[in-house]
Amino acid sequence: MRRRLAIVVMCVASLAASGRALAHHSFAAEFDENKPLKMTGTVTKVEWTNPHIWFFMDVKNPDGSVVNWGFEMASPSQLLRQGWKNNSMKIGDQVTVEAKGARDGSNHANAQNVTLNATGQRLFGGPPPGQQ
Amino acid sequence: MRICELTAWRRTMVALALVCGTGTTALAQWLSLPLPGTPRTADGKPNLNAPTPRSADGKPDLSGIWNAPNYDFVQHLPPVGTEPPMLPAAAALYKHRVDTLGYEVPMTYCMPHGVPDAMFVAAHPFKIIQTPGVTILLFEEFHKYRQVFTDGRKLPVDPDPAWYGYSIGRWEGDTFVVETAGFKEGSWLDNRGHPHTDALRTTERFHRTNFGTLELTVTVDDPKAYSQPWTSRNISLVLRPDTELLEHLCENNRDLERLKEAPKIGREQ
Repeated sequence: MRRRLAIVVMCVASLAASGRALAHHSFAAEFDENKPLKMTGTVTKVEWTNPHIWFFMDVKNPDGSVVNWGFEMASPSQLLRQGWKNNSMKIGDQVTVEAKGARDGSNHANAQNVTLNATGQRLFGGPPPGQQ
Repeated sequence: MRICELTAWRRTMVALALVCGTGTTALAQWLSLPLPGTPRTADGKPNLNAPTPRSADGKPDLSGIWNAPNYDFVQHLPPVGTEPPMLPAAAALYKHRVDTLGYEVPMTYCMPHGVPDAMFVAAHPFKIIQTPGVTILLFEEFHKYRQVFTDGRKLPVDPDPAWYGYSIGRWEGDTFVVETAGFKEGSWLDNRGHPHTDALRTTERFHRTNFGTLELTVTVDDPKAYSQPWTSRNISLVLRPDTELLEHLCENNRDLERLKEAPKIGREQ
């Protein structure tokens, strides 16, 4: 397990060093790298699909209201190579996400790191922003 | 018939050996499996510095899974710090693409990268299969392919324009030279947005310098977009050993809706 995590961390480090790995569309046209977000919530839906994996989670606001957020990640092939599996994240999991927010101000973001709160395992969601 | 049976039996045994050697989980995903023909160091790891493999005719064998090491090449095809000599219409189109943050890149609409930038998408490797009459490029991104014919045929005259055009290849020493023409407009030469027209002709020059390195340049000749031919930056791709391509399609394009709003957002900046 420790070795697997080490491999994931190494892969993240190498990709982070190599720049943006979002393959499908222009990152800059949809997300703002100057809009860093970090939030914790409960996973409500996982779409393990191409060209991007999307997952959704309920986030509780300080006033008690709940908002559903959608997060884009890389493609299944990219995440499989980073150590994810299609069941790494399940509905009901508590996760903490570091992401870059959408330019249009909607509740969408591009996830870069995802931590599974139950195990503390930190998984790569997408590389740091830059040019695609 | 007996040869076929023998071949099938050997394939079965090889498959069984692979299952035993790598475990079923790894084999099921084909993410990590020892590929035959891979030179290895004493500890069993792929030796990417081994000499360039050669095919039966003595020419370098370009076969393998190749990957851009970063996004530099797909982002900007011309040499670093330079811009090619664009004619006014191409320059205006290029400026529009840069000003609008590249939101109209064909991928937004689930259309793939083209020639040459499909080879430079760092997130998705591509595979070269070199055979005596044709060299095939299989692109993981969007599950596409190109064929480079080496059987002596000429480029077609007045072909139906195609996204990837029509390609023929020849050897100049150890360099594989690929000429492509018959393009339709639509693809971008790179993510930055350098345009081309249907007059585009490309010349790609591939040189596998060792087992793990494939170097190339691309010359762009498009008299309707550029005042003179220009040659790309020097590009170097790396081999991804002991793995396979995975499927990548465009089945859930959730981004499209927000990307359509991008031109407004881009102008606000």
